[in-house]
Amino acid sequence: MLTADRASRASESASSDLAGAAPPDRGVAAAPAIEVRHLAHRYGSRWIYQDLSFSVPEGRVVALLGKNGVGKTTLIRLLMGYLKPVGGRCRVLGEPSHALSPATRARIGLLFEGHLAYPFMSIAQVERFYGPFYPRWRRDLFDELVDRLELPRDHKIANMSCGQRSQVVLGLIFAQDPDLMILDDYSMGLDAGYRRLFLDYLKRYLDQGGKTVFVTSHVVQDMESLVDDLIFLRRGRAALQMPLGHFRERFRCFAFAPDDGMAPAADGVIESVDLHGREPLLYSFASSEQLAEHLAERWPRVRLGDEQPMTLEDAFIGLTGKY
Amino acid sequence: MLRAIFLKEWLKLRWSLFGLLLLHLCLLGYLWLRLRHQFQVEHSEMIWYWVFELRRLLYDQLMLLPALTGVVIAVAQFGPEMLGGRFRLSLHLPVRGDLLVWAWVAFGAGVGALLALLDVVGLYGLIGLFFPREAAASAVLTALPWLLGGWVAYVGTTLVLLEPAAARRVVYLVLGLAFLALLYRHRGYQEYDRILPALIAASLLLVPAVILPAHRYRHRS
Repeated sequence: MLTADRASRASESASSDLAGAAPPDRGVAAAPAIEVRHLAHRYGSRWIYQDLSFSVPEGRVVALLGKNGVGKTTLIRLLMGYLKPVGGRCRVLGEPSHALSPATRARIGLLFEGHLAYPFMSIAQVERFYGPFYPRWRRDLFDELVDRLELPRDHKIANMSCGQRSQVVLGLIFAQDPDLMILDDYSMGLDAGYRRLFLDYLKRYLDQGGKTVFVTSHVVQDMESLVDDLIFLRRGRAALQMPLGHFRERFRCFAFAPDDGMAPAADGVIESVDLHGREPLLYSFASSEQLAEHLAERWPRVRLGDEQPMTLEDAFIGLTGKY
Repeated sequence: MLRAIFLKEWLKLRWSLFGLLLLHLCLLGYLWLRLRHQFQVEHSEMIWYWVFELRRLLYDQLMLLPALTGVVIAVAQFGPEMLGGRFRLSLHLPVRGDLLVWAWVAFGAGVGALLALLDVVGLYGLIGLFFPREAAASAVLTALPWLLGGWVAYVGTTLVLLEPAAARRVVYLVLGLAFLALLYRHRGYQEYDRILPALIAASLLLVPAVILPAHRYRHRS
């Protein structure tokens, strides 16, 4: 019999597997690039997190995923010291996030949500402005990315489309040659081609070794070829962290036949139930045998169907829910 | 690094500075035409009587110009930083936040001081064209509180723009306006001569104050 308790341990074990998991292709370094312990934050009386803990080991690419409003951008603001947490602590590259030294900030390439940039600067001026702040400035990388825009260097950022502006901003971040990239929704405003190009550049950047990327994105399918680990933020539930491979391997989707309209509900073994589609589906980290056993105990008249193939996006929606 | 910081300030300020320079030159030109007109339509004795017996200021058109200049410079410098939360871009630069804000203020105050110098030289020259040198020096001393008003308006506007908390913003606004009101209470010549050093000292307290809103912006909860 698989109880909710046992299954939640199964889910937790999936999350704790990260520590012992063999890295898929990049080595795990000893010190975490980002460490969050018992973080608590709220806006007014609304709690965003009450006890959030996770770490991003150096040399890994970690995606922070979650539905709108679960606190992804808030977390990045906390990590960069733009917000003071109500409780707990965050450390970035070994320093407290609210007191990052200039030398440490020089090692962090930060992409703000919405590709924040100075609209009154031209392409040439923004490069002239940022270059002197970064000792490892790679103007060649900036030029390479920005030349693809085929815009004159005196073109103002204010007169660019959202996608063009994002290319300039991402060019600036690559040119910094940072040890840690924190990218808050990098895909916003990028077309499919440029998103692919950006991922190619990101892989080249990672190939240098020792680089860490912490990324949020709404385009979940991009994560498949990029990330090592996933962190799911879920409203009112503990964050779930695990290697991408483990998630793809262990998180399953099954069809089921409801019992006269009575459907199973999420309970710790069952992560979520989708009744909105043509065929009712349920999602779980449990194996089909464990799930069948669980259903037999809790919903004996519900019949478990076949396991369904899933894309990463399907799995993400299955875990976090559609609404 | 400082050059890069100043480059950004120059890019933000250049068109506003060009406009302000034109405004200052136009006002000085207007003052010259007005003084010339007075001397053409009135007897010199009458003007002497107005100015030195009735203590009427012939150049009070300049009074609010420095304060307006301070506000325009601060808005041109800090408005673009605060729109859309772009201040975060600056706070992520690998440079100490307090030094960054002071460098901005030094740049803004520096260009404001250049415009103030233009006013001082222009006022001294214009008054010196029509009156004895002592009257020209007195005109500059009389105008000093107005120039200090330019600095107070600049820093006050900076504090209001940088401050993340609305309630504190109102407090800065009220304090700034109260300080400005102190500087515009005279009706004659050189009435601030004795109190001006104290007022300048008080206005310098605003220099360390500008890093507090930046600190609060970074560490708000």
